[in-house]
Parts: sequence; C-alpha cells; structure tokens
Amino acid sequence: MSVYDDPRALDGLRSLDSQAIGAIYDKYFSEVYRYVRYRISDDVTAEDIASDVFMRLLEAVQKRQGPQSSLKGWLIATAAHAVNDHLRRQYRRPVEVLSESLPDHGANVHSEVDARERNRMVQSAYAQLTSEQQHVLALRFGQGYSVEETALHLKKNINAVKALQFRALASLQRQIAEGNYE
Amino acid sequence: MNNLHEILEICLQDIEQGADIDTVLFRYPELAHELRPILEASVNARSMAIPAPSAEVVRRNRVKVLQRAAQLRAAKTRSSKRVWFTSLRRAAVTLAVVATLFVSGTRLVGAASTTVPGDNLYPVKRTWEDVLVLFTFNMQQREALEVEHENERLHELRELFAEGRFAEVEFAGQVTSQNGNIWIVSGIPVIISNQTEIRDQGIVINSAVRVKGHAQGDGVVLAERVRLLSSDEKLPDLDDEHEDDKEDHEGEDRQEQDNSGKGSGDEKLSDETQTPEPESESKDDSSNSGSGSDNSDSGSDDDSDSGKDDSDNSNDDDGREDNKDDSGHDSNDSSDDSGGGDSSSDGEDD
Repeated sequence: MSVYDDPRALDGLRSLDSQAIGAIYDKYFSEVYRYVRYRISDDVTAEDIASDVFMRLLEAVQKRQGPQSSLKGWLIATAAHAVNDHLRRQYRRPVEVLSESLPDHGANVHSEVDARERNRMVQSAYAQLTSEQQHVLALRFGQGYSVEETALHLKKNINAVKALQFRALASLQRQIAEGNYE
Repeated sequence: MNNLHEILEICLQDIEQGADIDTVLFRYPELAHELRPILEASVNARSMAIPAPSAEVVRRNRVKVLQRAAQLRAAKTRSSKRVWFTSLRRAAVTLAVVATLFVSGTRLVGAASTTVPGDNLYPVKRTWEDVLVLFTFNMQQREALEVEHENERLHELRELFAEGRFAEVEFAGQVTSQNGNIWIVSGIPVIISNQTEIRDQGIVINSAVRVKGHAQGDGVVLAERVRLLSSDEKLPDLDDEHEDDKEDHEGEDRQEQDNSGKGSGDEKLSDETQTPEPESESKDDSSNSGSGSDNSDSGSDDDSDSGKDDSDNSNDDDGREDNKDDSGHDSNDSSDDSGGGDSSSDGEDD
C-alpha cells in the first residue's frame, strides 16, 4: 500500500490548499466511489458517502487526526465505516432499482434483462453477508486488490484473508442457492 | 484447510487471468466438487464490480469537496482572529489584575506602616522592611535603612507602652545599665528573669545586644532572650533614641541628665553605671550634694518615676510615699530598697 506519493500532500491538506486537495481528490475519488458503490447499490447514496469521505479527511487533518501512514488506506477504511454506519441506519436494505452503471452483459434485450436479474440476485445475496465478508469481497473483487494489499487494508495476515474470502464466497454462494434475497 | 484456501487463491488468480472454472478445476479433481460453488460465487462477486464514476459525478463531488475546504479555511481564519482577540483580552485582564494587586499592595503596605507588634498587619510591615533592605544595593543606604528600622522598633515599643499593651517585641540597643535583674537597653527597662535565655556570657555595660521579650504594658520588657549583636547588625540611632526618650520617657531621660549633669554625657553615664551599687550611692550623693536646682529636679523626677512605676506595678500609694521619703532623707534606705525584689526598679530610679 502506498504511503503518501507526495510528502507535501499532508501539508497541503493541513493548510487547506485547494490545489493539493484537488490533486488528492482526483487521485482517489474514483477508487473510493467504486468501493462504496460496490457495497451500496444506490448511486446517489454511494456518491454522497464517497464525497463525505473526503470531507471527513479535510476535517480530520485539521484536528490532526488524519492519516498517519497511508492516505489510500485511511480513505478506504473511512469509506468502510461510513458504509457500515449507513447500513446500520438502514437496517434492512430495500431492493434497489438497478442503476445504469451496471455492466452490460448482453447484446440483446433478453440477455440484458437476464444480466440485470442476475446482478440483482447477487446484490441481494451479498447484502446478507456480514460487514467483514462484504468488506473483503469489495476489496478483492470490487477493487481488484491482491490478497497482500487486502491484508494491509484489513490489518490481517495473508492466510487470515484467504480464509476470510473463502468463507465470504461460500456464504455468498449459499445465500444465492438458498434464494435468501428479494 | 489452509491448503484449500491456498488452492482457491490459485484458482481465483487463474480465473482473473481469463481461465474458466472448468479449466481451473481440472487440475484439482479431488477438490472440484467443493471449489466449484466457491468459484462461481467469485464470478458473481466480480460481476458486481463498478466501473469508474462518470466525469459528471467526479466534477460535481469535486466542487462539493473544494467548497467544504473553502468553508474550513474561512472558519480557520475567523478562529485565528478570535484566538488573537482572546489573547489580547486576556492580556488586558491580566494587566488590570496586576495593577489592582499593585495598588492594593501599596495601600496594604501604607496601612501597615503605622502598626505595632500584636497588630494584624504588623507582619506586613516587617516583611516590607525586609523587602526594602533586600532591594537596597547601596551599602550606605542599606545600613541607614537598617538603623531606621531599629529606631522604628523603639518607636513601636514606646507606642505599646503608651497604650499599655502587651506584645511580643524584639529590639536592639546598647546596655546602659545592669542593676540586678533590671537592665536598661536603649533606654528601655528590661527585666531579666530566671527564664531569660542569655546566650552570650560577656554582656556588660555598653554591650550591643538584641532583646527578645514581652512588652508588659507597664513600660518594661520581660526578656525572653538576650544575645550580643553580631557585627553586621545595626544599633538604633542614639540621637533619635534620646529625642524619643525626652518625649516619651521624660523621667528616665531626666534621670540620665541628672546623672550626667556633673560630667559630659554618655561616657559619664557609663562610668557611673558600671557598678550598680556605687552608682546608687553616687546618685544619692549627687542628689544630696548637688545644687539646689539639681535636688529639686531629682525630687520631681522621683515623684514622676515613682508615680509611673507605682501605677504600672499597681503598688499602693505607700510605696510612692516611701520613695518620696527616700529621696528626701537617707540614701542608705534607698540603696537598701534597690537591693531587693521587684521594687528595686523604684530604688534604681531613685
């Protein structure tokens, strides 16, 4: 996991320098957004949470409580907390209308409908997993992080991450098979 | 189990590289049944991956973040101004408190300047004197100040005597008389009792001493401790002391004048007071053999002194009568009286 690419980034954040903040946003917003959007199937909510993560970064740095070693690690961890908070408030996530950003898996209408249906099914099953299981799947398959990088984000050793992803995938498959989704 | 997790990870990496599930599982036929649903779940999980946000989403949220940064910047500026203002206000308050304390302290010291031992503010007076000495760096000025403070001790004693108050006192002076258990130090009668702690054995007439004791309200000090003055301690100014004696202890002063009337002042007094008993005789002799005016002075002094002593010691009028008789008749009676008991002060005055 990268430390600050630019050692002046923290100074720029502390002084609330627009240019430094803009550079950090440009570099990490897409990654944060994709993580949040993977875990929350609502576009608008995911967008709000992703931008809120950057505002929390600004405020935390002003209070000198911001990232100590990895800016990206801090952003993803904060995004995970924000998502968990949102899901706790929501308690039981209603079935979302599929967004336009879903991947297009078929050329014809039937295959597109099938793809959307399958995606809805997977998302619903995914929503039944524990926060930790959702987190590891979002990092491994949503972000495409390696096991090593996922281990750094989770602050676990590699074997623990492998075991966790095994259990998460098994649970997801069980949820799909049992039809525990709406 | 760890092996299963390892093989799953290998299979996942192969699928990520583009291999299909069947191809991957072909290498692990004994685990195929267990791994297949897991790998299918991984394909589903990967299918949920979200592409990068649209440019519009990025731009819109960028503006929000930068606006928030601008708000924080403005708040920070206001906060720093507020901190500066608060600091200024604190400084002003501190200054006001210091000024108030200074003024109060000055008034306190002013109020304490007229106190005498036993008053509540007396410690303030003594502390302020110590402070003045401490911050006087010119040696001559410092010595003058110390003499002034010693004079002040005598003034205080006179005030205590005038008001008939009892108080713990301490003063310095030269021993001018040692008559039995009555010493005269800086013109102040000092009673030496069995409880008096005399630290230095060589205290004689003309010795400079410091007396600590209790003013008895009757013009005497009951000594608690007497010691020789160290070389760096100062004696009260004798001239001032004599002026004071004239004002406040007229009788004693006049007695000294009587004694010195035949000679030339202090040296003569010292000579006369070196041996107490002959002194009495010489005084009586001078009274008897002196001029008429001396006799009349002596008689009046005796009256006033004996009167004072009588009132202070609560003696009856007979004592005064006796004293008058003594002064007018036989000097031997007088010397006999001075030889015994507390009434010897009367005898000495005589």
